[in-house]
Amino acid sequence: MTTIYLVDDHELFLSGVRSELSERFDVVGWSTDVDTATDEIRKARPDVVLVDVHMPGGGGLAVVRNVHATNPEIRFLALSVSDAPEDVIAMIRAGSRGYVTKSIDPASLADAVERVASGDAVFSPKLAGFVLDAFSETEPVEFDPELDRLTPREREVLRQIARGYAYKQVAARLSISVKTVETHVSAVLRKLQLSNRHELARWATERRIV
Amino acid sequence: MIAGLAGGIAARLGVSTVYVRAAFVALALAGGVGVLCYLIGWLVTPDQRQYGSLIVAEEPPTTTQRIGLALAFLAVLIALDAVGLWFGPVVWPTVLFLFGGALIWDRSSAESRERMARFTRPSEGDQPRSRAQIFAGVTLMVVGVVVVLASLRSFQSLGPVAIAVLLTAAGFMLLFGPWVLGLLEDLSDERTARIRSEERAEMAAHLHDSVLQTLAMIQRTDDPQRMITLARAQERDLRAWLFEPDGGSNGGSVHEAVADAAAKIEATFDIPIEVVVVGDRALDDRLTPLVGAATEAMANAAKHSGATSISVYVECSDDSVDAWITDQGAGFDPDTVPPDRRGIAESIVARMVRSGGEATIVSEPGEGTEVHLRSETR
Repeated sequence: MTTIYLVDDHELFLSGVRSELSERFDVVGWSTDVDTATDEIRKARPDVVLVDVHMPGGGGLAVVRNVHATNPEIRFLALSVSDAPEDVIAMIRAGSRGYVTKSIDPASLADAVERVASGDAVFSPKLAGFVLDAFSETEPVEFDPELDRLTPREREVLRQIARGYAYKQVAARLSISVKTVETHVSAVLRKLQLSNRHELARWATERRIV
Repeated sequence: MIAGLAGGIAARLGVSTVYVRAAFVALALAGGVGVLCYLIGWLVTPDQRQYGSLIVAEEPPTTTQRIGLALAFLAVLIALDAVGLWFGPVVWPTVLFLFGGALIWDRSSAESRERMARFTRPSEGDQPRSRAQIFAGVTLMVVGVVVVLASLRSFQSLGPVAIAVLLTAAGFMLLFGPWVLGLLEDLSDERTARIRSEERAEMAAHLHDSVLQTLAMIQRTDDPQRMITLARAQERDLRAWLFEPDGGSNGGSVHEAVADAAAKIEATFDIPIEVVVVGDRALDDRLTPLVGAATEAMANAAKHSGATSISVYVECSDDSVDAWITDQGAGFDPDTVPPDRRGIAESIVARMVRSGGEATIVSEPGEGTEVHLRSETR
């Protein structure tokens, strides 16, 4: 069974998520602050950590950065009330493999956790929109074709996700396998994490991301 | 003013900066001694910005100490004059003039506003020091000017009228300069304070109109679905206000207009609408119908689809705007829509065609509905 760890400073939300996910996953621990979370995650080594973005003491970003530095094999799914672009992009660039908002329904959340556990990326419609926005079609000034541009197929997959379709539906609509959709999304995630794309920087600056 | 040295020394001695500046200028006329002193002082003094206001006199100097300082400075001047570092007979008038001006410009002894009150209403008579100070300053300056005039006959060739005008202007500036400066400072302070209080008032008004009202409504409703809808609408509103650059108040762009429309449909029909917009552009004659058609499509989905949520995706590129309104609800057969149902035909398709755009509706019973709106903008 997939092991998960929960980090959220809102006790109520924490207990809600815990009861929703405990049927399908082995919840090995939870905490409400950054330092405890960092220590316990390093000890417990869960498959997936669900982490809230806004918390005292550096927030979820600090947890992801701390743990990612020592245990890169642990996967993160960011969960937040905020869908401000700066939060989304910062969490992804720190090493999070997905980002969902707290309004997600329990079944979709469980699916997202499974997907992250199996090494794939989880893109909400909002995140897909941000990526399309950041990687707009204009050619960047200095650019690395590997990292700075989305392929037409990746762009099409993101468009479908932004239109609200689940991976399975996207696969059917584009006549490709779900596995291929997952591959495209993971490739986009990698670009998002590694690209120094001029547009991404400009876009981030405009939205007050440092 | 240049390196803050005069200010530093003034703080150390507990006298006003203007006197120290006057002293430096007077010394500078003595063969550049003042300039030299200033440079040396600058090099050996720790940066005041770094040490903050640590270097200050513990208490203001007494009258005796003030006189002592003045006499010491006078002694230095006499010594320099005796050595012959000074040029010409303008020395003493210049010093008188400088310190007369300094007396007038000295604003350290009181708040500038109070000073002005005294200055404009001297009849109240309760501020003798200020008036005496200004009187002394003017006297020193006049004496200085008279001495200069007496010693420099060549000035007289300029014509007495020109000199009189110049002197009057200079005197006026010296007398009223501090007041004008003080007034400008007060004005800018007041403006900053007013902007701050206006921002606070705007925030309070916004929270009152929106969040407090919604909280009140939530307390008065028993229907959980209604509570969720109210909370969601409020959340969306507050988020737009807090995180969007123009505070979400400007409905002039496609993004804003679509988000506003979605918020209204969401509130009316109790159904969550996920809006994703890539790029943005200003609303114009072609795009307003697109937003209208999108609103209608959202309303249709909310009313008829039975879906648990609606997705709206808008993409603005350089030469077109595309919008997809998607639900995964009941769907329908577009060929069997009763002719009396004007929503789709009139409000979506015809509206798009009239504005030079197009609308495509893909739906099948059980497979949900997708409405695609497109408007070329070039």
